[in-house]
Parts: sequence; structure tokens; C-alpha cells
Amino acid sequence: MLRFILKRVFWALFVVFVVISGVFFAVRGIGDPARARFGPQAQQSVLDAYRKQHGLDRPIVEQYLSYIGGVVQGDFGRARQNDQPVVDVIGARLPRTLLLGAMAMFFELLIGLSVGIIAASFRNSYLDTSLMALSFVGISAPTFLTGLLFLNWWAFRLGWFPVGGYGLGLWSSIYHTILPAFTLAIFGAATYALLIRSELIEKLFSDYVRTARAKGLSPVRVILAHGVRNALLPVVTLMGLQLRTLVSGAIITEAIFAYPGIGRLAWESLNTWDDMMILSVTTISCAAVLIGNTLADIAVAGLDPRVRLGHS
Amino acid sequence: MHWTQTAKWASTLALVLLLGCPKPPDGPRFMGAGHNEAQHGGTFVFHHESTVKSLDPHMAFDELSNMAIKLMFDGLLDYDNETNMVPMLAKSLPSISDDGKTFIFELRKGIRFHNGRALTAHDVRWSMEHMLDPDVGSPGFTFYTQLQGVDAYREKKTKHISGITVKDNYTIEFQLTEPDQTFLNAMAMTFAYPVPKEVYEKYPMAVSQHIFGTGAFKLQEWESGVKLVFGRNKDYWDKPRPYPDTMVYLENLTRDAAMMRFRNGELDHAHRFAPADYLFLKNSSKWAPYRAEYADINLWGVVMNCGMPPFNNVHLRRAVSFALDREGWKKARNNRLRVTDQPIPPPLLGYDPELKGRQTYDIAKAKEEMRLAGYPEGLPEEVDMWIGHGNTGRFYGELTQQDLAKIGIKIRLKPVAFALYLEETGKPNRVPMMMSGWSQDFPDPADFLDILFHSRAIHEHDSENRSFYRNPKLDALLDKGRIEQDKEKRRVLYLRASEILAQDAPWAFMWNDLKTEAWQPYVKGYTPHPVWSEMYRDVWLDLPRRRIAQAARRFKESFFALLGPLHKGNN
Repeated sequence: MLRFILKRVFWALFVVFVVISGVFFAVRGIGDPARARFGPQAQQSVLDAYRKQHGLDRPIVEQYLSYIGGVVQGDFGRARQNDQPVVDVIGARLPRTLLLGAMAMFFELLIGLSVGIIAASFRNSYLDTSLMALSFVGISAPTFLTGLLFLNWWAFRLGWFPVGGYGLGLWSSIYHTILPAFTLAIFGAATYALLIRSELIEKLFSDYVRTARAKGLSPVRVILAHGVRNALLPVVTLMGLQLRTLVSGAIITEAIFAYPGIGRLAWESLNTWDDMMILSVTTISCAAVLIGNTLADIAVAGLDPRVRLGHS
Repeated sequence: MHWTQTAKWASTLALVLLLGCPKPPDGPRFMGAGHNEAQHGGTFVFHHESTVKSLDPHMAFDELSNMAIKLMFDGLLDYDNETNMVPMLAKSLPSISDDGKTFIFELRKGIRFHNGRALTAHDVRWSMEHMLDPDVGSPGFTFYTQLQGVDAYREKKTKHISGITVKDNYTIEFQLTEPDQTFLNAMAMTFAYPVPKEVYEKYPMAVSQHIFGTGAFKLQEWESGVKLVFGRNKDYWDKPRPYPDTMVYLENLTRDAAMMRFRNGELDHAHRFAPADYLFLKNSSKWAPYRAEYADINLWGVVMNCGMPPFNNVHLRRAVSFALDREGWKKARNNRLRVTDQPIPPPLLGYDPELKGRQTYDIAKAKEEMRLAGYPEGLPEEVDMWIGHGNTGRFYGELTQQDLAKIGIKIRLKPVAFALYLEETGKPNRVPMMMSGWSQDFPDPADFLDILFHSRAIHEHDSENRSFYRNPKLDALLDKGRIEQDKEKRRVLYLRASEILAQDAPWAFMWNDLKTEAWQPYVKGYTPHPVWSEMYRDVWLDLPRRRIAQAARRFKESFFALLGPLHKGNN
């Protein structure tokens, strides 16, 4: 198991390194950080002074090695737009995205599992059909559309939630995060619902469930203790994969709700061509996805020995 | 899966969601508490759709940054709501010598920077010299080149600017090389704002993060791209101002999001509306008392390059100026502009609604000018017109295309990025025609005519005179206008300059922007300012129990909104 974990971690670090290198050369190759900082009308002397001060006049390979050296030591450089340390900016934004992700994950599991279990329990009924129809709508609807609709209905028309932004203090922050988290959770909840329904139906027809029923257990206990428990394995794998969706979905969701997290930071950095921010945000997103996938792999391997032994 | 049933359920659900949705709020959600006297306290929230570039008054040259800088800094001079010059950090308007070259300012005593240090005349001199230091790279230095000794200072031949003399701790003298009526305007610009030397020396590249002004509010927090938070400066010299405890400046809010937040009561002041929101506000009787529409001091038009064919022909330029249907454009733009026919925007000196030879829409005259230009059947070849990359540029470009087609001028639109536009249109003989505009740096006709039409503004690169119009007679008039101290004589000079420009038509003068703003009913003391975008100096909030009021109203509205047909609006 330890060898399996080390292999996965090494592979994740390698992918992060490749992504940083690729993005570094792409970003520096396309844009001019000094021009991005001071705008199209900046004087040449100002641009030259900035380039000299920030080492942008050195060969690109030298700049790359210097950047990688900094990253290894935990120094991601300073933001171009306001000269703040990138780590500070990301440090302010990351907790918000983590809160958004955690709440979205909570909604995904709560809604997805509930809908899936209810649908499977009442399979082929009108309730099942309508819940599955809703799930298909949830999977098909793009985040920008659901986000705008929720914003319009629940924030603007009904006034139940703030239209956007992020609050001051814990409760206000949670209040501001509910709507974007719900939007972000729609796709995942629908995916969980469809998965758990099919898994559960399969399990409910298995021999051990039939045996449990024959023993006289109540239908609820049969479903929860014997059905759901065994149907959860693929859900764990899916949770790892869902992290990627949460990261990519956060960019759109945060942009729609003007939610000041990492996703919106990525969007702003692209708009202002702040190369230091683009690099750092990409690294963090990539790391988040890889951590999620690695943890899911490890969890599945822990639960199912065939995986770590390399069997399908 | 029963697909027919699935479709049935999905469509039913969609219908319920669409039809069951309550109406959006059609008026303000929250009203004021009814105080007549200005109240202290509260948080005032305002916004912009882009990001503040810099909080350093010596570097910022955009209205967004200036909005924030105006909260934290004061200059020696400022403008009142009628564009009159008023003293701020100066005790009174400066005394000016008879030859118009010497200006002496007396400073108010007891003014302190936010770091607690007292402001003196030495700070004023240091700040001016810092801003004019070529190593600093301030984009504002060109406004102060009339100061004696600036050239030698910028060439590093002298340590100080000889035209700035500190008489004593509270008296400073400025000496110009020649009289200049725009010098006081330049002294009211943010570039001339006094800053504390010690902060600039300690954080030369990160001043924006450690900003200390003398203004009404202190910077508390700046999360770039998200928000700036300002706290009340309790030691502010101009008591009882400021009134709110906190000012929150939200950055990067799109127009749609800003309007939704405003109507939801989350923003206290809103501006720059999308077309649909603009029409809603304009037609809403409930918002009528809390909105304003007024002409911005700026100028927009179709610019023709007088230095290259085909627009080196004055008759062709005049033909264009007569062929553009300004009123038609106004209608196409939902009346969101004020049509103009001359280079000086109202209310500046020299604007005359009855100007001789002003440019009006007249197809017969346009065709006659085409004949005089030697093109009675129209231009044989298409002309490139450079426009902005966005929808607005294309919109006006297409209107130009339609109008000029009527007199036989075919236009090929060339949408380009703003940086490329600035670079290429500033070089001679590159771009024959473009859509362009100019917003005031300060309310004076020289800020328009000198910059846009004086031959001094033509260079091999970075010309602001993008029409490359050269006329020694006009240059002479503008040079006289700049130094003339008698207001009436000055008006006549600019009137004459306007006539020449209207008739020589380097631009087809088209419109001045109309600006619309709206504020919540509990926002008091706010008046749109003719010079500064969104000036919040006198704002106070008439909502001492705003949070409770908001929560109660929101609950009530939600309850009634859910009743659907019984819902009777939010007021």
C-alpha cells in the first residue's frame, strides 16, 4: 500500500511540475508583464526600470529557473497589479473557495444521495421518473445558465439571498456562499443521484439483500444498511473526480456571483495578464485536482485490494 | 426510462419555474429614516466595472483610480459643483502677479497626513518634484512643463525646480515661464496632490499599499480586483465631513450585476447602465427622484486624417461633417447622448449654441461639398475607418457607413484593440479615418483644443492630434487663449477657434456623452459633480437602522412575492 501511495504522490508532483513549466513558457511567451502592469501608454523608461527590477530583462530560461527555485522555497513572487505577495493574495482568496467547495460538496452529497436513494426505492414510479428527469436537467444545464437563473430568481426577484459578493464575518460569508454553492452543486448532485440510483437498484436485486428481506428486516433498514452501504464504493471514486469539476466550475460560478475566490482571481488575472497570478492559480488548481484524484485512488485502493494490485 | 413522461415532467417543471417567478423589484427596496440634518455613521457602498490601477496620485491617470484617490487626498485647489475653482488645502485662491506668471499659495494650518504628520509647504514642493522626476515616470508631468526650471530639473541639471519656492512653512510660490490660464487647473489635478515624503522613500515601488493622504477617509483594506475599504478620518480638517464611517468601493462589477445589486439594495449608488437597465430607470417613476442624467464634459466624433488622402481635401471633410445624421444616431442610442456640432463641450468657455458655421446634418450641403471636392459621383475607393474592438465601436461605425453611403463614400470598418489603436492612430499617414473621443482632464477649453488640434500635439509617435490638422492661424489663437487673463477676451478667442475648426472639419463633431446615475433614497447629500466622477465628499446616510429595516422588508417582500398574482410590487 505504501508503495502504491508513493507512486501516486510522485506522479502527482511530476504532473504539477510539467504544468507549471508549460504555463510559465506559454504566459511569458505571449504577454509582456511590464506592459500589462503599466498599460499601453506607459513610458519606455518606466517599463525598462520595471523589467530590470523584476529580472524580466534576463534570458527566459534564467527567469524560469529563478521562478522554479522560488516556488520550491514557497515564494510564488509578487502580483503585477499591486505588488502584493502572491501568497498573501491567494491566502485571502483560498479559504473562500474552500468554503464554496465544501458547501457545494455538502449540497451535492445531500441532494444527490437523497434523490438517488428515493428514486431507487420507488423505481419506475412517477416520483422516480420525475426525479430522474430533474437529474438529467441538472446534468445538462450549463453552470452559467443555472447560476444566472438562481441569481435572478432567488436573489434579485425574491431577495432571499445577496446578489453576489462575499460577506464580512462567518455567518454573513456562509449566507453569501449558499447560492453559488448550490449552483456549483447542481451538476454533481445530479451525477450522484443517477449513479447511486443505478448502483442501489443493482444491489437491491442481489442475493444478500434478498436474504436480508427474508430475515424480516424492515424495507428502510434493508435499503440503508445493506443496499446503500454497498452502493457507496463508486461514490468515493466519483468524489475524487468531482473535485476537478468543482475547481473548473468555480471559475464560472465565482465570475457569475462576483465571488472573490480563486476562480475569480484566475479570471481577473487573465484579464489583466498578471503572469505571476496566472501561474500560481494554475498550480493551485492543478494541485487541488491531483490531490483529490490521488486521495480518491488511495481510498478506493484501501477499500478494494484488487485496485492496488493492478487488477481491473 | 419513459422518455415521453420525462419530457412531460421536465416541461411542466420549466413552466412552473418560469411562470411562478415573482416580479423583480420595480422601485427602491429601502427608504430613508426621514432625517433633515446630516447624520454620521453607516457604510456607503459604491462600485465600478473595472479595477483600480493605482492609489498613488502621482501615477494614476484614470477616473476609477481617481475616485478612490479623491477619498483619501485633497489638493491645494478643487472645483465646486459649478466648475468654479475653490481652495482646499490652500487657505484661499492663490494671489497672482500682474504678469500672470507668479502664483503664491497660503496653506491651511493644522492639516495632517493620515500618518499623523503635519502638512507643510515643503511637502508640496517635494511632491511636485517627485511627480516631475523622470525616473518616477508620472504620466501627468506634461501638465506642469510651464513651471520655470522644469526642463533643467528633468534633465538632472538641477536638484530642485527653480520655479517652486518655499517662502515659509505655510507659503509656497510657483513661477511660470509665461502666463498660463490652465496652471491652476493643473494644480487641481491629482498629480499635484501633496503626499508624505517618508512613505514614498520607504516604499518606492509599493506606495499604493501604504498610502497616507490628507483626505476625508483612510485606506483600511485593498483587495485588488475585489474591493477597497476606507474608514473615516476623524481628524479631517473640514469638519463635520466626512459622514459615513466606512466607504466600500467594489471593483470589477459588471453592469448587469451592479444593477441587480443596486435594485436589491446592496449598492448605494450606481452608474454606467446597460441599455435595458437604462431604459428601465428612465421610465421608472419610483426611481425618478433618485436619478440624474447630465452631459459629461467630453467630445466624440469622426476623425479624419488631414495629412493624407483623401481627407487632405477640406471639402471632403466638410461633406462628411454635413452627411452624418446626429439626431438619427441619438435615436439609435436610445437618446443616451447629447448631439453636438462644435469642438468645445458645454459648459466650457467658448461653447456657443449659435456658433457660426457649426456642423449640422444637411445632405444637400454634403453633396455640394462632394462636388466641390471633385467627387460628384462619390469616392472611387473604400476608406478604412478604425474603430474600437467592442460592440459600441461597431455600432457607431455602422452608423457612419450608412450615412456616408448616401453621399457616395464607402467605409470599410477596421476594429482593433485599444492599444493598437492608440499606437497607430498617433503616427502620421497611417489611419485615414477613425472614431475618437476626448474626456476632460480639467474644465477648460484648452484641454480640448490645444490637445486635439494644436500642431504642437503632432509627433512622429504618440500624437494626440490624431487628425494631424495644422493651421498656424488656429495655433496662434490657441496660444493667445492660453495666456489671456481677461475672461471675455479669452471667450472670443476660443469662439473664433471653434468656428475655424467647425468649418475646416478635421473632425465631424458628433456628441457629448450623457451620464446617468441613481442612488438609494436614504443616500443624502449626493450631487453629480461636473469634473470628478462620483464625488462622495458630502454624502451621508439617512438609515440608522438599515440592517433591521432591510431584514424586515426583505421578509415582507418575499412573503408577498410568493403569493404571485396578489403581489403588488415592492413599495
